[in-house]
Amino acid sequence: MGISINGVSKKFHSFQAVDQINLTIPTGDFVALLGPSGSGKTTLLRLIAGLELPNSGQILFNDLDYTNKNVKERKVGFVFQHYALFKHMTIFENIAFGLKVRPRKFRPSKQEIKKKVYELLELVQLKEVANRYPSQLSGGQRQRIALARALAVDPEVLLLDEPFGALDAKVRQELRIWLRELHQKMNITTIFVTHDQEEALEMADTIVVMNQGKVEQIGTPQQVYDRPKNAFVYSFLGRVNEFRGEALGTVKDGCHLSDNYVGYLRPHEVHLSTIASDNSLPVEVFHVHSVGASVRIEIKRLDNDTLIEAELSADEYRRIGPFYKGDRLYANCDSIVVFQHQHILEDSLPKTVASTI
Amino acid sequence: MRNTSKRHLLPGFGISMGFTMVYLSLIVLIPISVLFLKASTLSLSDFWQTVSDERVIASFKVTFSSSLIAALVNTVFGTLIAWVLVRYHFWGKRVVDALVDLPFALPTAVAGIALTAIYAPNGWIGQFFEPLGIKIAFSQLGITIALIFIGLPFVVRSVQPVLQDFDAQYEEAASTLGANSFQIFMKIILPAITPALLTGFALAFARALGEYGSVVFISGNMPMKTEIVPLLIITKLEQFDYAGAAAIATVMLLISFLLLFLINFWQWKQAKKHRAVKGV
Repeated sequence: MGISINGVSKKFHSFQAVDQINLTIPTGDFVALLGPSGSGKTTLLRLIAGLELPNSGQILFNDLDYTNKNVKERKVGFVFQHYALFKHMTIFENIAFGLKVRPRKFRPSKQEIKKKVYELLELVQLKEVANRYPSQLSGGQRQRIALARALAVDPEVLLLDEPFGALDAKVRQELRIWLRELHQKMNITTIFVTHDQEEALEMADTIVVMNQGKVEQIGTPQQVYDRPKNAFVYSFLGRVNEFRGEALGTVKDGCHLSDNYVGYLRPHEVHLSTIASDNSLPVEVFHVHSVGASVRIEIKRLDNDTLIEAELSADEYRRIGPFYKGDRLYANCDSIVVFQHQHILEDSLPKTVASTI
Repeated sequence: MRNTSKRHLLPGFGISMGFTMVYLSLIVLIPISVLFLKASTLSLSDFWQTVSDERVIASFKVTFSSSLIAALVNTVFGTLIAWVLVRYHFWGKRVVDALVDLPFALPTAVAGIALTAIYAPNGWIGQFFEPLGIKIAFSQLGITIALIFIGLPFVVRSVQPVLQDFDAQYEEAASTLGANSFQIFMKIILPAITPALLTGFALAFARALGEYGSVVFISGNMPMKTEIVPLLIITKLEQFDYAGAAAIATVMLLISFLLLFLINFWQWKQAKKHRAVKGV
């Protein structure tokens, strides 16, 4: 089912949670609402579900106005961050709940319910837990059951609120792949909320980057990562080094930028060399640490003592390294991305560079 | 020397347990055992004769049935009051909240007199029921009303905090699955508050069984009809029949204990159902 959101706003007391959002989601799309906490992504998801009503604007499902329909009528599957499984019911009863509460006319028979529940349990690969209680399952299992329960009512839209937020890294990774496959199999329009850019990039077909109640950019993972529309999107997606403006005649001169501009450089785009060249920036090695296949090097600018993070592949590091604390190097900033002085969110910036001005 | 081989993570087990035992003994166990001792001065046949007396049996029936009905009524309406106090915001909510505890604070005799005054055949409310042939004061209905009055706070106060802590996400989850408000209440909220409901019910019931002050005014104390057990015990005491009073009290105590034990057992089973069972 396709969803259109036209100029939707939501205010909680004086806090503008969602501000004039326009968004069109085609049928079968897999969408990530990505943003820092407080950006309005969960509120937007709850507005789509009907768990909140907008102060203004329209929400259309397949071009029909659903703005004032209640949760029950919307036929959405909703998966909560903390699962919200009913503690006093077995897993079987939890999944069957949506079918059992239907009016008698539309309620499937006991056999049909049983068949459906076992099909769903098979889908989420947890057939053996049917008679257990939620408290007897692990976090990852509970989240899969929550998903099976949401799917039991044959929703046309699946909404997931930070679905893996409460799980450990390994389980999260497994469930990402699994959910991605499930979406391919079932092709239900799916929208999930996350603050983890890696999760969004890895899973979604479309990423909606949100900040302060507004949509900053909509696009494929490739688009938002490679061609960020503004400084916020660039700095939110992945690690960055920030370069603030200085009193300068031209916009850019090597690693120096003029006032009113801000530049970002991803760690892997910082090119290090032991020999000085045109436009290179003299720096000093501050800390070197290896993370698997790559090596992260923190370097200190000699002109203003701020730290920059550089990342090299292990091979490259072997070629030009090794480096020790205090070594003199030269950094090259050719890949720097420059933005006009706007859309900057201080909180989202890495701590090591946030103090630069 | 102190044995330090067995060490508890939290210190003070010995002293706190010892204190608990002494305290419970002084306050509860010793007085109750004296009651049993007194009752045991009767021979078995005398004991049986005292407690199986027609008038005594009738009073048991009146006491237990009135208390049960009062506790049930309080369970239903107490839940409603708790619901209103937790879920809605209205002007004067704090006053209503405070009002709930009033039956605890009022001397029960005052409550009894006030209730009698309004429910008597010529009272404010009683006068409307009199033409319909319904007698409230001086009947078992009156006793039940008095018991409802004094038991009101128990259910409200035990359900209120549970309802307050109940996470809205469960209701939201149920509504996204298509449940209507009634289904959400019956299938999601009610099971969650059931243990608290049972606690409130048990407390209100126990309180009603022992109630004396408010009932004696409104009941009319007609033997075989509106005489409650506590009254019968007082009557026996006034006739210096201490052993007889103790015998009736003993039976009352045993039945009450059994009923409360059953309620607790049921509640324990309910609570066990949702408790985390790890490593299964």
